Amino acid sequence: MTQATTRLRSGTQAKALTAGLLGAAPSLVVASAMLVVVALIVIVVPLLPGFDAYSQDLSTVREHPFSDMAHLLGTDALGRDVLDRLSVATRTSLIVAFGAVLISMTLGLAVGLVSGWRRGRLDAFLMGVADIQLSIPVVLLLIVVVAAVGSSTGLLVVMLGLTNWVGYGRVARSIAVSLREREFVTAVVAAGGSSWWIITRHLLPHVLPQVVILAAFEIGTVITIESSLSFIGLGIQPPTPSLGGLIADGKNYLQTDPALVIVPALMILLVIGGVQFVSQGLTARRARR
Amino acid sequence: MSALLSVNDLGVSFTTPAGEFDAIRHVSFDIAAGETLAIVGESGSGKSTTAASVNRLLADNGRISGGSIVFDGTPIQDSDERTMRRIRGRGIGLVPQDPMSNLDPIQRVGTQIREALEVHGLAKGAAARSRVVELLEMVGIPEPERRARQYPHELSGGMRQRILIAIGLACRPKLLIADEPTSALDVTVQRTILDELDRLTTELGTAVLLITHDLPLAAERADSIVVLYRGDVVEQGGATGILESPQHEYTQRLLAAAPDFDSIRLVADRPAPDSSGGGVAEGSAAPLVSLRSVGKEYPIRNGLWGAKTPFVAVEDSTFDIARGETVAVVGGSGSGKSTTARLVLGLEAPTRGTIDFDGADIGSLRGAERMRFRSRVQPVFQNPYGSLDARWTVRRSIEEPMMLHGVGDAASRKARALELLDRVALTSATADKLPTEMSGGQLQRVAIARALALRTDLVVLDEAVSALDVVVQEQILELLVELQNELGLAYLFISHDLAVVRLVAHRVHVMDHGRIVESGTPDQIFHAPEHDYTRSLLQAIPGGVPAPQEA
Repeated sequence: MTQATTRLRSGTQAKALTAGLLGAAPSLVVASAMLVVVALIVIVVPLLPGFDAYSQDLSTVREHPFSDMAHLLGTDALGRDVLDRLSVATRTSLIVAFGAVLISMTLGLAVGLVSGWRRGRLDAFLMGVADIQLSIPVVLLLIVVVAAVGSSTGLLVVMLGLTNWVGYGRVARSIAVSLREREFVTAVVAAGGSSWWIITRHLLPHVLPQVVILAAFEIGTVITIESSLSFIGLGIQPPTPSLGGLIADGKNYLQTDPALVIVPALMILLVIGGVQFVSQGLTARRARR
Repeated sequence: MSALLSVNDLGVSFTTPAGEFDAIRHVSFDIAAGETLAIVGESGSGKSTTAASVNRLLADNGRISGGSIVFDGTPIQDSDERTMRRIRGRGIGLVPQDPMSNLDPIQRVGTQIREALEVHGLAKGAAARSRVVELLEMVGIPEPERRARQYPHELSGGMRQRILIAIGLACRPKLLIADEPTSALDVTVQRTILDELDRLTTELGTAVLLITHDLPLAAERADSIVVLYRGDVVEQGGATGILESPQHEYTQRLLAAAPDFDSIRLVADRPAPDSSGGGVAEGSAAPLVSLRSVGKEYPIRNGLWGAKTPFVAVEDSTFDIARGETVAVVGGSGSGKSTTARLVLGLEAPTRGTIDFDGADIGSLRGAERMRFRSRVQPVFQNPYGSLDARWTVRRSIEEPMMLHGVGDAASRKARALELLDRVALTSATADKLPTEMSGGQLQRVAIARALALRTDLVVLDEAVSALDVVVQEQILELLVELQNELGLAYLFISHDLAVVRLVAHRVHVMDHGRIVESGTPDQIFHAPEHDYTRSLLQAIPGGVPAPQEA
């Protein structure tokens, strides 16, 4: 009996240890590797000699990947280096995505925290605004705005930021609503804490981790929207390369040179997948602690 | 002798991120058919783990590491899920603690009882329906046919607990595990439920494994008692024997700490301040707080489109709190005592009457005056784990009131926080801990320290010791009295527990349905209760009603 118990115990311990090392690890390792590839392309490629995303060279058009060491991923229809353009395009897309997510997260946090803390009519009003916001199709709205005032990277960031805050707002609000009834918050009110003090010192630190996880998911969504817009010509304007733009350029040569579409599409996959899996892995790790 | 349940040298361990730890070690006991055995211990003693291992419902990270459990002649410590499913409910019934979370909110209670019968194929269709009504009748629910069609939220807490008992007894199990069956209930309801449970199990000949933190209650209800302390059995034997001559030091401490009618009071009586002004001690002529015909109503909407009708939480309450005095407000849940606490804290405004603090109406205070009031009145709440921000260190939480009121600089605030920790008997090492790393009793000390960070005159203690184990509860009560004597604090002591109130209060007000039904000194209330509600509160204290005495 005793022996069996001991054996059982060491067995469980070993199992727990392996689970700890590997349980979360595979997806996290793969996801991190995906992001490392993205980082290499965005950061290291521009440092390489001969980096040039814009010069056209009609003598070397549509070279296949890995056929010319000067153009590792080949060239596009105008003879521009695909790897270099991919690097700039990814950087542009990431700037747009992070900028937009930062704007919508800040806006959502502000609305959600105030709404959840104050409740009452203000809450009803703000959540009504959120519902209206949700009922407007974002892409259609963007098409209208871009068609009306033209497109620029700055406008794109602001527009994507202003139309995606509702998710953050709802998460922040629901946590704030449950926290405001908690005794530690009441104790701060009774000690003379102002709304600003409570929201910034007590509610925000509880809400932020949840919202950051949501933000990681949203980065993927925003990159998809941005790529779609660029694909249909309403996002980032040429000659500035963007991932959607690269796909749009390459689609004409899909039959003969599929790499022109596959390379930027793979990049979108790497960015979205990497960010999502990392955030999932981190969430799981948080939950386990 | 053949026991119905025989637990032998049982050990259970849990795997946690911090490693493996033993929740219980070498636990052995027998329960004969029809007998009641109580397992008593504080939180973390392993009493619920013992119960969970008997019907093999341990959490996923827990497992039986040794020993045997023999139920009705069959060893079940290694039985598989299929075997256990047949035993659970039919052989071993369970009455869980919290009736709110243990009933499905979207199923009619009758359906939930019927489910218990149907899983074991004991009744079907019309037979099951009539059996449900029988069971409801048996556990003392009036209008059983109508009640069976209701949902849990339509029933009171006491009735929900009766439903759980009905489910536990539905298949006429030979053994019933009752895990703190009344802890979530109003004090006055507790006794009736336990009486009911007693009667039923005697009638049906069911053996009971009663899990409780309350040693006097266990002694009153059980034939034999097992006292658990941090996973070890420290004492076991007949109930009367343990109550009368506890052998182990821990049992003695448990008994000594449990307040009853013979406990020595921690504060001395004070002369009653009568309204004529005579006989009042010098300097304390004006009360610190005075409530005059205070009422609080909340508008409640009837149904989705119904008219708003006022719900009266507090009605026409008048009482004073003198400086340095402890005034207790006692009552069951829904009596309005917590609303009274919120009103005195100035968290809500009364809809009628006035509350004066140091001569000024709280409701009229604005700006700097209001902040000054906030610095002088501080709360301590019931749930120690909810009273502190889980993301703030202990020191930061204690410093917070000083930061809010711009008291001192960083260095002096830190010094004051450490001084306060010392004052509530915590080491300075706790200063940088997070609430999750501390015990309930320690957290309650931190909450008290925070309440004293400013020049506090009045601390509102809303069930401040109710969530604590008796031994810890006693220590906190002693600390409160000591602080009162040193700092001249006044306390508004909100509680449902008359036995605790008797120890620390100078004056007691009994509240029922928002009204103060009786007021007096603890002795008057205890020995010459005039109101029926006060008497029912007194009866709720395990150990019986005290002999009437001259007040």
